[in-house]
Amino acid sequence: MQFNGLSLEQAPPISAPLRFYLTAPLFAILAGILLLLSDASALQSRYSIDSIVITHAITIGFMSFIMLGSLTQMLPVLAGVKMYRVDLITKASHLALVFGTLFMIMGLKFEMPLLNTLAIILLASGFFAMIIVIFMAIKKVKNFTPTVTGMSVSLIFALFSVLMGLFLLFSYIDADAAIYRNIVANTHSVWAIFGFAGVLIVGVTFQVLPMFYVAPKFKDFYQKRVILFISLSLVLWMITSLFYEAYSVVAKLWLVLFFASFAAIFLQKIKNRKRKVSDITLLYYKTSSVFLALGSIFWIVDEYYFSEHIVVTSILIGGFILSIMIGMLYKIVPFLIWFHLNGMGYMSIPTMNEMIDKKWARIQFALFVASLMGFVFSYYVDAYLSLFALAFIISMVILQYNIITAVLIYKRVKKTKPDFDMSAFA
Amino acid sequence: MSSIKEYLSQDHTRCDELFAKMEDRASKSLDNAKESYEEFAKATERHFQMEERVMFLEFEAKTGMTEGPTSMMRHEHAQMRSLIKQMGEAIEAQNSDKFFGLSETLMILMQQHNMKEEQMLYTMAQQHLSAEAPRVVDMMESMIVE
Repeated sequence: MQFNGLSLEQAPPISAPLRFYLTAPLFAILAGILLLLSDASALQSRYSIDSIVITHAITIGFMSFIMLGSLTQMLPVLAGVKMYRVDLITKASHLALVFGTLFMIMGLKFEMPLLNTLAIILLASGFFAMIIVIFMAIKKVKNFTPTVTGMSVSLIFALFSVLMGLFLLFSYIDADAAIYRNIVANTHSVWAIFGFAGVLIVGVTFQVLPMFYVAPKFKDFYQKRVILFISLSLVLWMITSLFYEAYSVVAKLWLVLFFASFAAIFLQKIKNRKRKVSDITLLYYKTSSVFLALGSIFWIVDEYYFSEHIVVTSILIGGFILSIMIGMLYKIVPFLIWFHLNGMGYMSIPTMNEMIDKKWARIQFALFVASLMGFVFSYYVDAYLSLFALAFIISMVILQYNIITAVLIYKRVKKTKPDFDMSAFA
Repeated sequence: MSSIKEYLSQDHTRCDELFAKMEDRASKSLDNAKESYEEFAKATERHFQMEERVMFLEFEAKTGMTEGPTSMMRHEHAQMRSLIKQMGEAIEAQNSDKFFGLSETLMILMQQHNMKEEQMLYTMAQQHLSAEAPRVVDMMESMIVE
């Protein structure tokens, strides 16, 4: 029995999640800059190099960084297990992923096979190290809740998405592999987004939403089955889209139905929460479910337009994932800092609400939402794309600033060593 | 008769609801929140004591684990007591920012704590104390808060 979830010696060092959280906005800023430098017409196609490079700065550089960082922290709390050599593994894999992603972006953009080869090695070792160690931890879990199921299933999809991604990157080195590119890319993207990110978000939300907002729990049946249904529909979608394309819309409808239902239930639970306070995280959560609902509907409607608007679907679904992640960052970063400082015995420390300036958080939110809506608009009229790219960059710079201010509080308190208050131990 | 796990888990839910009510009152005016703060603080203190003075002792006696999970839960109770006390001081000082900063922190700390208890400690307790469960629940029910 592991029973050391949050005792300070056993919790992962605060640097494990923070390392990932501090790097993620940098990649989003990079994505924004790449967007500024790209030709708008090239972005009309999801298979153009510019589109691929920008997408992966966000999906690997931002989304997977946030997910991996969060898993190091969530495993002890939500599953009661800790990762093997968490400090060493996160340090090494973070480094490999940072350079792997950068090399991939440069390798693709400037057509440099050597960088692409290095990227394959680094991304493979970074992702696999984390995935294997997390799996080893999950194997020790005694009490398998729907959230733990969500984590495991999400990791299985992560594993396959990464494998497919590595193959795709290889196809830019070896032209023989290029003929399979579009087929694999299709499954790679849908599995990564709905399987890896989507399932993890659904699984974690089951536990986190009732916790943080005293919201009604999701129905037992829903909690137990929805991840299975989503997984089945993802597998079914892959099979049909590979072999029976005419029927793939059925699997797609099924998948969309579950995610759209999740968005609707999520909003309804938020509405019925007992804790009526409203904060930036909640604002982001609401926004994310609107993006998810719109994205799901758009994806199905787009079926009648032969995927002409798939880029818009991607922006909307991307908006869903980014919103929920940024919203979570605003809560988890201040808490982790408070928790670690408090655990060291410091008592006169700022409360969670004093670590990030609310005004800046709101400005960041407004710019973020405006830029995403701007991207959708730019798909049809691209005259203002640079403006929206700029708004996106600024919102990510502010996000970075907001996280850094909180981390600086941690550093400052540790350095100045205020009073020790031992009354808690009396 | 409910099991130890059910009884204490339900009490968590009750405390959560009192917490939400207190915050709701406080968002209107801190003066208004005094009464619901007392109510929440009292319910939470009672919950802590039911564990510390009854259930943990039975658990420790039965399993011989005195340095394990229960000692960690006691430590977290102390952390939460300190936050709750500071919240009361923030109400007295009419410092709303301080109050909500503390309540937010308490909320997350409390939820992580509850989750560990409900998923691990209560399950263990229920297994080890299944024969004594009705008696333990009775004792907690009739306990007088010190």
